[in-house]
Amino acid sequence: MLQKMKRILVVGPKSDYMGIIDELYEAGTLHLEDVVKEYSIDVPVLPMEVYNTDDISSLLIKLRGFISVLSQGNHTKNISLKGSVDYSDLTWDEVTDEGLEISEEIELELKTLEARKLELEVSKNTLSRYKKIIQKISPLEAHLPRLEGFEVTILIILKEFESVLQVIKPFLSEITHNQFEFISADLDEKNIAVICVFNKRYATKVHDFLYSKNVNEVRIPQEYTNMPLNEALFLIDEDMKKILNEIEEINQKITDISSKYLKRLQDLEYLLAQRFEEISSYKKFGQTDYTFIVSGWIPRKFINKTIRRLSDKFGDKVVVKVQPDDNKKLEEAPVFFDNPFWVKPFEFFMLIVKPPMYREFDPTPILAIFFPLFFGLIVGDIGYGIVILVFSLLIHYYFRKIRWLSQITSILIISSIPTIIFGYIFGEFFGDFGEHMGWLEPLTLFGITWNRMESIIPLLILTIGIGVFHVYLGLSLGIYNAVRHHHPKHILEKLGMMGTVSGIILFILFFAEQVPESYLIFIALLTLVSIGCLIYGGGMMGVIEIMGTLGNIMSYARLMAIGLASVVLAIVANQLADEMGILILGVVVAILLHTLNIMLAMFSPSIHSVRLHVVEFFSKFYKGGGVPYNPFGRERT
Amino acid sequence: MTGWEVPIGAAIAFAAGAIATGIAQSRIGAAGAGTIAEKPETSGIMIVLEAIPETLVILGFVVAAMIIIMVK
Repeated sequence: MLQKMKRILVVGPKSDYMGIIDELYEAGTLHLEDVVKEYSIDVPVLPMEVYNTDDISSLLIKLRGFISVLSQGNHTKNISLKGSVDYSDLTWDEVTDEGLEISEEIELELKTLEARKLELEVSKNTLSRYKKIIQKISPLEAHLPRLEGFEVTILIILKEFESVLQVIKPFLSEITHNQFEFISADLDEKNIAVICVFNKRYATKVHDFLYSKNVNEVRIPQEYTNMPLNEALFLIDEDMKKILNEIEEINQKITDISSKYLKRLQDLEYLLAQRFEEISSYKKFGQTDYTFIVSGWIPRKFINKTIRRLSDKFGDKVVVKVQPDDNKKLEEAPVFFDNPFWVKPFEFFMLIVKPPMYREFDPTPILAIFFPLFFGLIVGDIGYGIVILVFSLLIHYYFRKIRWLSQITSILIISSIPTIIFGYIFGEFFGDFGEHMGWLEPLTLFGITWNRMESIIPLLILTIGIGVFHVYLGLSLGIYNAVRHHHPKHILEKLGMMGTVSGIILFILFFAEQVPESYLIFIALLTLVSIGCLIYGGGMMGVIEIMGTLGNIMSYARLMAIGLASVVLAIVANQLADEMGILILGVVVAILLHTLNIMLAMFSPSIHSVRLHVVEFFSKFYKGGGVPYNPFGRERT
Repeated sequence: MTGWEVPIGAAIAFAAGAIATGIAQSRIGAAGAGTIAEKPETSGIMIVLEAIPETLVILGFVVAAMIIIMVK
């Protein structure tokens, strides 16, 4: 069911507009609509000026940047909560000033520290690259000619392009007049390092040539050349130590800043984000020369509370007018669910798929009845039902603050009960384990033993029967909607569809010799009249739609098919465990396979139950596309 | 007594449905991922759309089961 919504208009003196906005924000009950668009017809209403949103938005970006830097790594480890300051007495301007002040205090220092840290990280990476290269080529040092006036350069070449050495060799030979030497060694899996020694006189020409050929040349910095390689390695290690120490010092400084400011920054960010949301809504408020105007939708049960709140604060200065219901306007009203506790969790599905329009029938209670039934029929296992129930209860308890997770686990808790009941009917406890142990057996109802592995055809007929009922329920709701909105053609179309599908089913039953021949004339008459209604109500598309509706009904076979697949997997788990020979190994295999099956059982039946509703059921009567009620105010927790 | 053609027939019924579902889901999945990247609020409806072609494999499974049970 949906809450009854009322449209209200709040008018007050312009001088009090800040107070009125704050009061409405604190009340958190009004879903705003654009006053300028709605009320500019008789009197010119102008939008309120949007108040320094850019300043607050840029401050928020800065604060979030600081928070992200200060919350990284170990900076938050030893933070005491003493940094927390009570901002409740400050006005919004003072909160903004406080944010700007802190930002000014730490911005320069934090930027310098971060820049230096980045520089050091780059140096560290470069040095470790040099170290790796020098370590690789140091065994070749003995082969290098010890000649004054010669330069050494290192080339890194991909192994697959090793042949390029043979290509560049003649060119280098020509440039250096044959005064050069190549020595190569594997650097890693993909690269080889080549040391090239040549006369310094030709250095520029050689480097230019290598550059022009795109050869990856590593020039070891000046401070590590002109010395034996092991000395260079030692020097690199020393420099690395210095860099690491400096990074550690910077981290310590950032941690100090973090312990002093992080909590305050987080509080300010939270407050300013709220403030930003509040002032961003200003463009929906209106003003005339002397008045301030707010309009919006409010659930009927919150009207008195909100009016009282405004009159306590402003007395007669602020007028609240509850607008009379207007069918055209009500089409645009936001939707606010008002369901009993057992239906509430299923609002989650309605919101993620598409919420109903305000004047539409809300199918959430029907979803709350059929979803658990479908889920139970598919999973149908006492053991799985108990595991899903316990698992969902635990997750629900530990993550109750996460709204969507709490809703999903509530749905699973409700759905686990029919799962256990159907498990009892099908005689399943972890597949055939219960039956194998002699604990339970499939029930015999209506002359059928409901063992899912053996009663495939009765189960198929049962699920198709459920499909017929569910689709007919959808069509009936379609008729109800058409009656409410005075669409006689739609009524005939839906009735025609129900009659035609009934006629086809009766024909099938007749050919299966389940209906006496004497009824044939009535069946034919029913079908013909129904097709006539269908053509009158929905045109030729209505007739084509018959195939769609029959397909929808057949689609309910999935209730049997997915369930059967789950039973087969459970039985396979038990048989594999049985054939393992070693008890413990068998138990482990069974637990693993059953866990996998339960995880699938929580996911797949949910998706398919929702799908049966959204695709097969809703298509018969539901339009959707409503706007969820989103009140202007502090986020409710 | 049934021969080899019964299980092969059942396998074809199931496999054809499974392959067709796979092809359809791969396309819906790719388009759905793109849509969700642009509009995260459509994720609910995309999950339902992704499940729509599963009807093919489910009906394939039903037909396969019926072939095995009914052809004696």
